[in-house]
Amino acid sequence: MNPTRLRQRAAITAALRRWFEANGYAEVHTPALVTSPALEEHLEPVEVGDLFLHTSPEFAMKRVLAAGLCRIYQIAPCFREEEIGVHHQREFTMVEWYRANAGTAELMDDVQQLIGAAAEAVGVASPVLKRRSVASLWAELHLDEPEDEVSWFQLWVDRVEPALVEPTIIHGYPAWQAALAKECRGRADRFEVYLSGIEIGNCFAEEGDAGVLKTRFETSATKRSEMGRSPHPEDASLLESTPRMPRTAGMAVGLDRLVMALTGALDIQEVQVR
Amino acid sequence: MGRSYQTSDFRNGLKVEIDGNPYVMVYFQFVKPGKGTAFTRTKLKHMVSGNVLERTYRTGETLQAADVEEESMQYLYNDGEFYHFMNEETYEQVAIPAKGIEDQADFLVENDVVDVLYYKGSPLNITLPNFIESEVTYCEPGVRGNTAQGATKPATLACGATINVPLFVDQGEVLKIDTRTREYVSRVQK
Repeated sequence: MNPTRLRQRAAITAALRRWFEANGYAEVHTPALVTSPALEEHLEPVEVGDLFLHTSPEFAMKRVLAAGLCRIYQIAPCFREEEIGVHHQREFTMVEWYRANAGTAELMDDVQQLIGAAAEAVGVASPVLKRRSVASLWAELHLDEPEDEVSWFQLWVDRVEPALVEPTIIHGYPAWQAALAKECRGRADRFEVYLSGIEIGNCFAEEGDAGVLKTRFETSATKRSEMGRSPHPEDASLLESTPRMPRTAGMAVGLDRLVMALTGALDIQEVQVR
Repeated sequence: MGRSYQTSDFRNGLKVEIDGNPYVMVYFQFVKPGKGTAFTRTKLKHMVSGNVLERTYRTGETLQAADVEEESMQYLYNDGEFYHFMNEETYEQVAIPAKGIEDQADFLVENDVVDVLYYKGSPLNITLPNFIESEVTYCEPGVRGNTAQGATKPATLACGATINVPLFVDQGEVLKIDTRTREYVSRVQK
């Protein structure tokens, strides 16, 4: 832990809260102990007895949207097992927000403004996010987009990420990486934000069809069984409330990584109390 | 077959074999694309040529441990082409090609004991002690009371190395050096 970084983190957190407040977002608190930790097959939850610590507050926040709140946010500790490195810790802080009657275009504006507010809080110039499609990134490197998952990510990590030096919003991911996002013309309606070559956030235009979500839980469960992992239990209350959820887009930003990117910290432990 | 290392075992200094060649890991970083599986990016330095490979390993992939052994030996001398070391108990001597040593040679002092690395039975390389002590043979005069953080000047040491030291260091003082980072650690009371 680095005291200077902790002061900068506090300034950024306060600026984020002010931005949410000014833009009509209500702060919510959802349970960290949950029955269903995630949908995605590559997320490993921390188990606590017969429950899990949430890997993100996503499922519970969607139930809040179904209950009628239209703009909500949360700054919450989240937990992911088996992730340790200079940009990963098992426990980290997520800034997550949802906006009803909006799509990825509105959330691109939100995240640009939010990063600007955070940058101002620590006296650095606001990164201006370029908007790029996944297809244009492959094309720029003269690479064909691999069809199978392992090759796709191997090439992404080896070639695409190291070339992503500018602040960038990346959209148009393959449909098989949709997770909880809608599909649109064979691609997932979602985007990620990269600062200094590091992914700091992810946005979905949320899939609103409970039947589609149920199928995705089943696909994930099958893949996890094949990987020799225990399948993530379906979130019954999420599926039950999904039909009442309005058209929504939601975004999650890793607070620790945002602070790192804006302050130049090289190890996540500098910006966390450890 | 020797042992193999999982990505979770990766650390700097790990000695591994790739395509029949010995490498030492000099960098590793855990990465995980948003919706994908985890990888570890690495940089691996060839133990003889010093060439650096950049490789990315998926979690679940393994690296073979290099067939290496280390033996504590005393440094005797170098003849330009080879560095000569001796086992202090058996008096057996070995010669290591200079190119295996060159980036560490300026911290080698005759009669110092180092670990000699054998790969498949042949001496290849050495590991210096983490810390050595050496006298400053030349530097600009010390500036009393100057403890300004970060301000340094070059100093030449008896062992042959030139490193950056704080401004207050004087010629003739003995310094403790971290050989892994080539950084000044402290002054040593004589």
